[in-house]
Amino acid sequence: MTHEIIMPKLGETMEEGYLISWKKNVGDKVQKGEVLFEVMSDKTNFEVEASESGYLRQILFQPSDQPIPVTTVIAYLTDTPEEPVEEKKEAVSARPEIPAPEPPTARNTEPAAPPAERIRISPRARKLALEKGVEISAITGSGPEGRIEEKDVLNYLQARQAATASYQVHPWSPIRKIAAERLSLSKKTIPHYYLQGSIVMDQIARLKEELKKAQKDYTYTDFLIFYCSRVIREFPLLNAALVDQEIRLYPSVNIGLAVALEDGLVVPVLKAVDTMSLEQIASQVKSLTARARNNQLKKEETEEARFVISNLGMYQVENFQPIINPPGVAIMGVGAITPRVMVSEQGSATAISLVMKISLSLDHRVIDGAYAGRFFFRLKTVLQQPGLLAV
Amino acid sequence: MREISYRQALNEALNEELVRDQTVFIAGEDVAIYGGAYGVTADLWKKYGDERVKDTPISESAIVGVGLGAALTGMRPVVEIMYIDFIPLALEQINNQAAKIRYMFGGKCTVPLTIRTEGGAGRTLGAHHSQSLESWLIHIPGLKVVMPATPYDAKGLLKSSIRDNNPVVFIEHKMLYNSKGPVPEEEYLIPIGQADIKRQGRDVTVITYSRMVLFSLQAAATLEKEGVSVEVVDLRTLLPMDIDTIVASVRKTHRVLIVEEDCKTGGTGAEIGMLIMEHAFDELDAPVKRLAGADVPMPKSPVLEKLAIPDPERICQAIREVLQ
Repeated sequence: MTHEIIMPKLGETMEEGYLISWKKNVGDKVQKGEVLFEVMSDKTNFEVEASESGYLRQILFQPSDQPIPVTTVIAYLTDTPEEPVEEKKEAVSARPEIPAPEPPTARNTEPAAPPAERIRISPRARKLALEKGVEISAITGSGPEGRIEEKDVLNYLQARQAATASYQVHPWSPIRKIAAERLSLSKKTIPHYYLQGSIVMDQIARLKEELKKAQKDYTYTDFLIFYCSRVIREFPLLNAALVDQEIRLYPSVNIGLAVALEDGLVVPVLKAVDTMSLEQIASQVKSLTARARNNQLKKEETEEARFVISNLGMYQVENFQPIINPPGVAIMGVGAITPRVMVSEQGSATAISLVMKISLSLDHRVIDGAYAGRFFFRLKTVLQQPGLLAV
Repeated sequence: MREISYRQALNEALNEELVRDQTVFIAGEDVAIYGGAYGVTADLWKKYGDERVKDTPISESAIVGVGLGAALTGMRPVVEIMYIDFIPLALEQINNQAAKIRYMFGGKCTVPLTIRTEGGAGRTLGAHHSQSLESWLIHIPGLKVVMPATPYDAKGLLKSSIRDNNPVVFIEHKMLYNSKGPVPEEEYLIPIGQADIKRQGRDVTVITYSRMVLFSLQAAATLEKEGVSVEVVDLRTLLPMDIDTIVASVRKTHRVLIVEEDCKTGGTGAEIGMLIMEHAFDELDAPVKRLAGADVPMPKSPVLEKLAIPDPERICQAIREVLQ
């Protein structure tokens, strides 16, 4: 029977050993417990005893500076001197040519595995990474000599979240945040209520056409601002502001105009608009909206808005309820002007008229429904019969 | 509030305590007739006479020894060592006697002794009159070591030191005597062992004391223009050290520069740095940095003297490195 002689594992950490010398020659009889060969590991020499008695038949490795992995078969022992050596298949393939000794430096230049490089990371960053369950080897450090700092972990977390999320984070611009805060506050604290109604705009449309022929091109918004400013003079609460628990009334009418920006909304203000002519209003609306869109409004041009007009008619929106712009107490949403079939008061004759729907959002703390109703009725009357304004 | 000098603030503290407590007396070289080498005890001899303001022979060991003996027998002496450079001559009395006696007698006696002295560079007085030896003193258990930076702190802390029942070494800075600051007319005390945040900041903490507080505040003002927010912690007392204030600031900024005028090796900054390691390691986002005096005997040359201790510009540079 053939017994394998292997490079023994002489310690927990021993991966390989160096064969120092054979204490027996090929053909020698060996007693169990006799020293068979000498091995060096970690600078310590061990004498290895035979674990079986028999004859040393074949030596596969000669003493050299080449390390031999532990458990490698290095020789064969047989029970009797004559029987054939039964080499294990893997042993055959594993049996190398006995290598020529190499310069002793060779093994120093071949470390078993490159030592893992220590990652430079600040204690704070390490703690944060641990808390967040981040593998620090995945983080790129931006500190001196690549040290990972707190901000690197935070950036990594942010990037990882962005990469794994099923959504994209849309930038929330400062102007939107401010608007969001103001709108939320308005809707949360102001008891809004809404009035809606239709106004026949045939007369205004005719007036618009006439003036256009005279090279004076006004928009419906211009007309609305003009007539609202005149009617508001009769209903001063629509031009009020609620500040510091006071309902403040003002001698002149200010009307804000909601202007859509690419990302956001701004409300430039026409001040003392009740003293302006239609022409003055039109030119100021043009100037304010142009500068609003170019982000060139001065601070004071967006302050002291009270009654606000917001027009979505150009998008064929018929009706909407805008949110009050505090400290103002009323805002008017203007819908599209569309042709409608009208029934006369007698319920017989029909006609086709241009009809505009408006809705008023009001602060009930300041304005009651009847007051707002009277305002609406007066505005409707004036817009339907502009000549009445003179009366 | 009125503004007075550091010197005047100290003089007021001494005057008020002499009035308040008949056991308080002053002793030291030239403290009486001359009014003190830096004028801190000016006019006190005229007011209180030989019994309470005493000139002594030139013997530091004797000065502290007399103070210690008087303290043990019920007096509340304030002795002056003209320069901290001469403190080593009195170390036997300070270290082996004053700091230990209360412990060795099982607390049966108290040692209400205040040792005023003054240190630091800036007047080109050379290697024997410009040292900062506070780190020697904070190595002595049983002692308290106080180093105020402003007139307000100087007055409040000197009064607390005089009233303390343990030996206090009160270290003034020779370059601060003429510096002015607000000091209220009415009486106040500042407790020993409490640091003070002289400037709030977000990005980095500068821990410092004595004259370097002023330099650090100048550096912080410069860096503010670069958008860097520097917190300046004035320790005021080195022993016992106010670790709570230090840790709270490190938790806020996560970066620390320690500035000390004393030479670096084996210095107070080393102690502060290790305390941070022990108490706030996980809060650090960068290594703690020290900016200290050079490890050399103080040069006499005004040019070299300037280079041997930190200045506002180098503090700025060191802060930038901590923030890198």
